[in-house]
Amino acid sequence: MKRISGQSVLATVLSYRVVVALLLTIGISSFVVPSFFGERTFSLTLDQASTIGLIAVGLTVLLIAGQIDLSSGATLALSGIIAISLQPSLGALLGAVVGVAVGLAAGALNALLVIRFKIESLIATLATMLIVRAIAYWVSSSKPVAGVDIDASLAVTRSMLGIFTPRSLAFVLAVVVVQIWLSHTVAGRNLFAVGSNVSSAAASGVRTHRYMLGAFLFAGGMAGFAGVVQSLSINTGSPVLGDTVTVSVIAAVVIGGTRLEGGRGSAIGTLGGVLVIAFITTAMQFQNVPNYMQQIVVGSLLVLMVLLDQLTGARARAAIRPRRFVRRRPFTPS
Amino acid sequence: MTSTPETAARSVQRGRLSRVGEQLAVPVAIVVAIIIGAFLSDRFLTLGNLLNVLTSMSIVGIVSVGMAVVLISGGLADLSVPATVAAGAIVTLAAQPVLGAGSIVLAVIVGLLIGTINGLLVGYAKANPIIATLGVSTACLGFVQAFLGGSIVYGHDKALVDFVNSRPLGIPLILIVFVVVAVLGHMQLTRTVWGRQIFAVGGNYAAAEASTVRVRRLKASAFMLTAGLASMSGAYIGLSLNVAQPLIGTGYEFDAITAVVVGGISLLGGAGSISRALLGVLFVQLLTNILVLEGVPDQVQGIAKGTLIALAVGLDVWFRNRGGRR
Repeated sequence: MKRISGQSVLATVLSYRVVVALLLTIGISSFVVPSFFGERTFSLTLDQASTIGLIAVGLTVLLIAGQIDLSSGATLALSGIIAISLQPSLGALLGAVVGVAVGLAAGALNALLVIRFKIESLIATLATMLIVRAIAYWVSSSKPVAGVDIDASLAVTRSMLGIFTPRSLAFVLAVVVVQIWLSHTVAGRNLFAVGSNVSSAAASGVRTHRYMLGAFLFAGGMAGFAGVVQSLSINTGSPVLGDTVTVSVIAAVVIGGTRLEGGRGSAIGTLGGVLVIAFITTAMQFQNVPNYMQQIVVGSLLVLMVLLDQLTGARARAAIRPRRFVRRRPFTPS
Repeated sequence: MTSTPETAARSVQRGRLSRVGEQLAVPVAIVVAIIIGAFLSDRFLTLGNLLNVLTSMSIVGIVSVGMAVVLISGGLADLSVPATVAAGAIVTLAAQPVLGAGSIVLAVIVGLLIGTINGLLVGYAKANPIIATLGVSTACLGFVQAFLGGSIVYGHDKALVDFVNSRPLGIPLILIVFVVVAVLGHMQLTRTVWGRQIFAVGGNYAAAEASTVRVRRLKASAFMLTAGLASMSGAYIGLSLNVAQPLIGTGYEFDAITAVVVGGISLLGGAGSISRALLGVLFVQLLTNILVLEGVPDQVQGIAKGTLIALAVGLDVWFRNRGGRR
């Protein structure tokens, strides 16, 4: 009996791992960062985190649908460059709109490769990552592009409603809207069905391809939006922007409890995961820890989380072992 | 059984004609690339240029041999190559004052260690290969930079640099190393139990496991092989330039993946050969060379490589759906 209760404690800890991780990082950060609980520190942390946060919300939806997007870092760079370089001709607002549209286009390209040409999303988005990043270098001639509309930059970075900036408000709003959509609408429930078993979802009358298309467009659009906002806030578009963002985003989403295998996840969990990464980043910046140390921490965190998911998942699967001999690749109707 | 597992598995599904067509696709593409290259640029068919192509092909090719084994074993891809190449280059040069030429051995050992981490994660913990190796790559690159303190490292052994860049009988040394690696890799894959089992694991994991194949160990070995070979490539790059920095390996993972899938090795695993990978490497290198001679900037070549990956994998999926489901 004791062993079972020990295991269930472990299981509880693991299922609330976002909370555990969040409490741990807050605990450590509060030691390291002076006035950590101050309004201003939190506001700054949230503001910095909103770039990966916006992408992470998009990726959460996509992962629940059973797909992944590795091209978001490249999309971030390209959308930013387009938005900034169109400022002189179209103005800041229209430029930003085109920037987001570029993100949507990248999402559409991913969807085309995965749904129409049936390429696994890991590989398809690896290919689009190369392509989109190369286009970013191409249109910018490998040089950073400076913006001409400083007012737009100031508008994006000014603080509002106490602890928010426009982009961190957009991030939190996106989390709330997506969370409600996922848990309180039929479409949201269907998305989980698509991610956990495509063929049975299709057999139940769910238009699986439309959900996947929507998820890819949403993920691409969010990456584009994040890129536009990020580039506006520093008034610069750069082709090297976001080259390590993908790992941070995936780490944040996975810490938040969303599974890489699809069919499980939540936007609130992602908010927690993003905050974990954000607190770690803030704490390290306050300690003047070099950038590469953050790389070590974020990379190791990602590996650790994936490992944790596999180990706990393996235990759950062990109970239904005969299934392993059932056909692995589900029949996909074409 | 005289046929390779690849042809045996496929002959059931498809007619002889389309099989011959698929075998010839990449060689024909190579010939076309050579003709187009010769047409576009006077410099293309010069000895110096072709030696350049062969040298850069050798560096990518060594990594591709490992990457091909990863794909055949059903391991999707290894994205930690930039980290292992950088670790190989940096360890080789940094340990040179102490170990001399023996630092190359240390570099390969470090690479094998990274490969072991990948292997444990992918083979034993059954983690998603792409995500796991991406995380390992990020962390390892961070470690490499922490080790260097954010600077670059120079080599000290001029004689070794000359030796590494030497051309015995007019053949670049790295090309000889590459040929040896490729031949050994081919022999291992086709003539040993390990090779057979790599195909078995990639073709049907559950069946291989049921046949008492040590599936976990085999999958792990594919990632160790790739990491070991990548650190070897890194050691060569470091020695030939006599200077190394943490980003020295950027892009090699994509070059290797592009080459292997263009060569026609399926991401679904269970089929492929080293010779296919080599043809893929040759084609991609010729294409890259033509782009460079035409003045296309380095970073923009990603458009061509990304398109090639999507095209090759898309065609593979299309052929398989047409030829009957797996």
